[in-house]
Amino acid sequence: MKKKLLISGFLSLIASPAIAQSSASSGPEPVQQVAVAAPSQEYCITVMSGFPNDALLPRYQFFKLTQEMAVDATPGFRRALEKYGDGDVEADAPITDVIEAIANPVLRQAAPELAISYMDHLIDFAQTCEPYVAGQVSSLKAFDANLANDDTVIAEDALFLRQVLSDSLFRLDANKDLIHGADVTVYANALVRTRDRIEFTSYSADVDELEAIYMTDLDGRLARSNDLINSEMNRETLGDAVTLSDDMNKQAKQKADREAVQTLLRILSRY
Amino acid sequence: MGRQFSKLLLVGAACVVTGCASTAKGISQSSVMKSAKAEQLKKKATAGTVLAVVRYPAFVDSNAKDAYYKAFGRNAIGGRASSYDAGSPEVQALADSVVLKSNYFALSLFKELAAKLPEHSVLLSPHTIKLADDGSLTSEPMTQAESLANVVTVDFTSYTFPDSKKMMGGEPLTFGDLVTPLVTVRTDHRAAAPTQGLLMASAPLLSRAAGNGRASVDESLRNLQNGKLDSATPELDFVTYLNNDPAFNVASKPLSRLPSANTVRKVPLEKIKLDTVAIDSLGDAQAGAVDPLKTAFSKGMANQIVGMINKTNINKASMMRRASAISQFDQSLAALTLVGGKDADYQSRFKYAERLLEAEQKYLSVQSLRLFDGIHNGEMGAQVRDMLKAEYDVLEQRRDLARKQNTATALAILGAVAAGATIANESDSRDGVSYGESLAIDALISATIFAGSKAFSYKSQSKSVGSNYLTSIVPALEEQTSVQVNLIDSNETITAIRFEDLKEKLQSLYTENQRSLETVATRCGYTHTGSTKTGTWLGVCENGLAAGNGIGVLRNGDGTAIEYFGYAKNGQPQGPGYMIHHKRNNSYALEGHFTAGQADGVMRVTKSGIPDTLQMYSAGQRSGSVPAGAINASPFRTPPANKISAARSQTLASAQ
Repeated sequence: MKKKLLISGFLSLIASPAIAQSSASSGPEPVQQVAVAAPSQEYCITVMSGFPNDALLPRYQFFKLTQEMAVDATPGFRRALEKYGDGDVEADAPITDVIEAIANPVLRQAAPELAISYMDHLIDFAQTCEPYVAGQVSSLKAFDANLANDDTVIAEDALFLRQVLSDSLFRLDANKDLIHGADVTVYANALVRTRDRIEFTSYSADVDELEAIYMTDLDGRLARSNDLINSEMNRETLGDAVTLSDDMNKQAKQKADREAVQTLLRILSRY
Repeated sequence: MGRQFSKLLLVGAACVVTGCASTAKGISQSSVMKSAKAEQLKKKATAGTVLAVVRYPAFVDSNAKDAYYKAFGRNAIGGRASSYDAGSPEVQALADSVVLKSNYFALSLFKELAAKLPEHSVLLSPHTIKLADDGSLTSEPMTQAESLANVVTVDFTSYTFPDSKKMMGGEPLTFGDLVTPLVTVRTDHRAAAPTQGLLMASAPLLSRAAGNGRASVDESLRNLQNGKLDSATPELDFVTYLNNDPAFNVASKPLSRLPSANTVRKVPLEKIKLDTVAIDSLGDAQAGAVDPLKTAFSKGMANQIVGMINKTNINKASMMRRASAISQFDQSLAALTLVGGKDADYQSRFKYAERLLEAEQKYLSVQSLRLFDGIHNGEMGAQVRDMLKAEYDVLEQRRDLARKQNTATALAILGAVAAGATIANESDSRDGVSYGESLAIDALISATIFAGSKAFSYKSQSKSVGSNYLTSIVPALEEQTSVQVNLIDSNETITAIRFEDLKEKLQSLYTENQRSLETVATRCGYTHTGSTKTGTWLGVCENGLAAGNGIGVLRNGDGTAIEYFGYAKNGQPQGPGYMIHHKRNNSYALEGHFTAGQADGVMRVTKSGIPDTLQMYSAGQRSGSVPAGAINASPFRTPPANKISAARSQTLASAQ
């Protein structure tokens, strides 16, 4: 069974002081200025510089998580987030802080609007800087294909954060909104499908693991058993049988030759 | 003169009795090679479905040996046994060698099929020949290979005529460089209703194999009537033949002619002579890589099987066995999988079940690969190859003796003719015979007698060579059979222990991950217009009657039965469905829309000996021609609802 990566553990992994310092020292531009425009290289690079850079795995996990969190966020749904979120997220807020805030149970219970804003902020970054994020994910995976082994766990973490967003919207009755209700419902249904897919992937991975263990084990056991049985085979039985048969054939041939000579003698004796 | 004439008669008679000896010839290639084209697999089976299972007799239970030897002799294929003593070592050697060689040569077919089909999709199923409760022979699989869904099963036996005296004649033989394969290929009867599932069969086995198929149909229907989704596993067709079990008539066509739909392809009984170079190299160190049967039979047979899979409806072929496998861990889902559904909860659950079955399939395929490896690549395989080489040497000796016998016979005949002509000439001249001439005639007759006696001697030696070998080889045959069984038994024991464990773990995973099904399968009543009996419905029920998708079975007292897959309402077929009418002869199937239990609209009709046709039905009766472009409804494909309605409206409008 694969060890699941929990949000809290994930956050503690990425929120190292060095990264925090790095994030603090960078000065990202306000989100509002870049959200609707083409990807701003400066903005994206600045925000991404706050991502873990001390090891491949946490860096990959962070980029992948960011990518996953923007899934199914249609323009209509983004408009719902803008309406129901509290737009006070600082543009230069470090991504780690934003994720921590969303995952904080007290905060999301007390202020669902804030959770919506934080998620909107994350989605905005992921969509604005999508080429950079995707590029990072691809290059890290190309460097080490094993990084993708954690994709299911990352998708589960992203799903948790997305579920927080959906629940927050429902608590604010956004699903009953005449304008945005449909988008919010569609997003909630998409979450169900994503959960199904992730659960199946996880189940399939568990089955894969069982398969690999049992097939390898069986293969080894059967190979050993075959070798043992084959080695115990009496190799002389066939040889003995063939020799016996040859001997009997020789005797038969000698007898036939004798009889032929006798026949010939009988024939010649008449002359 | 009278004395000489009587001598001449004796020599002439001797020549006739000795006759010309056959040199045990065979054809260089089976007809399955000639009529098969190298075809690629065009179909894809669902996860957890095996494409082909190769079945063969691997062992005869000690209790069944006597019955097997007797049945083997009584039911000779390809000729008439001149004498048969079930207790003689020679006959037992021939009977045992059928099992031993089937074990070995079946692997050749397995290898060729595995090379042509996707990984894990071909399994080996060795069978034990046993005594049934009624004292007849039967066979049972030694492994669990047939517990999974499959598309086709292939029965393979390498046969030998049960008379050692006829080994050099035209009778079928598997010995040395000669092989007589007996094959049958079958699918589930739901995919080939008119032929009871039979697709191809060696001519001598055909009608019995169809009978075996019919027996499996009956057993499967009985199980369904009792609420069990168990598909019967038929015994080996070779065993059915030995038992002289009831035959069943199905449409068939020789392999040499173009194939027809809903017709069994008949393979002639063949004695195939294997490639001499390959046989010669069987004693080499790399002999394991040599497969003398490949170019003569196996490669073509594998192509034939792929062709048959391509023509078979994979879903219909595998659905019942798949449902049976699923029923072992999810009763609520099993019957629903026969027709399928679009609901998200069903789709999700089915996906999980398929993944579980796929894991089982992969696990069991390891067993087959190791069985192949253990028997073919180990000491066991080397011993069988040595035996084939020894047999080949015996055959070559006998062929050599036969040639000498023929030469001696020819000389004897020549001498007799010459002596006869001389005597006739002397009689015509009416002159007295000189002493010298009389001596010459006497010498000619003596030489003829000697040539005749040599011919007798060679014939006798040839028989001795065959008889000596068969008598001597019995312990080696027993040893090899015993090792083969040890290999299979050991592999199965190890596989089964771990398989149970794996299944338990997979089922735990399955249960942990399941969501509830909104609609579950249960058992209730199924009715059919015109029948006084009530059948069984396994699927969605309402108020004790079929109401939704599932399978219905109704067996009548006269041996006929209705088997229905599809949608129902108030206990009767209603909506898209597939109905098989099981008759004493000429079973047929209808696929289309049903209303209140009756065929209604465009139906796809599957009948014996002819391709499927579309026919218009109304209230269960044929009602006219089908409009161009019309299609029949099917419970197995689920087009959007509006398309079905449109197609149905169109066909109904045309009918009116």
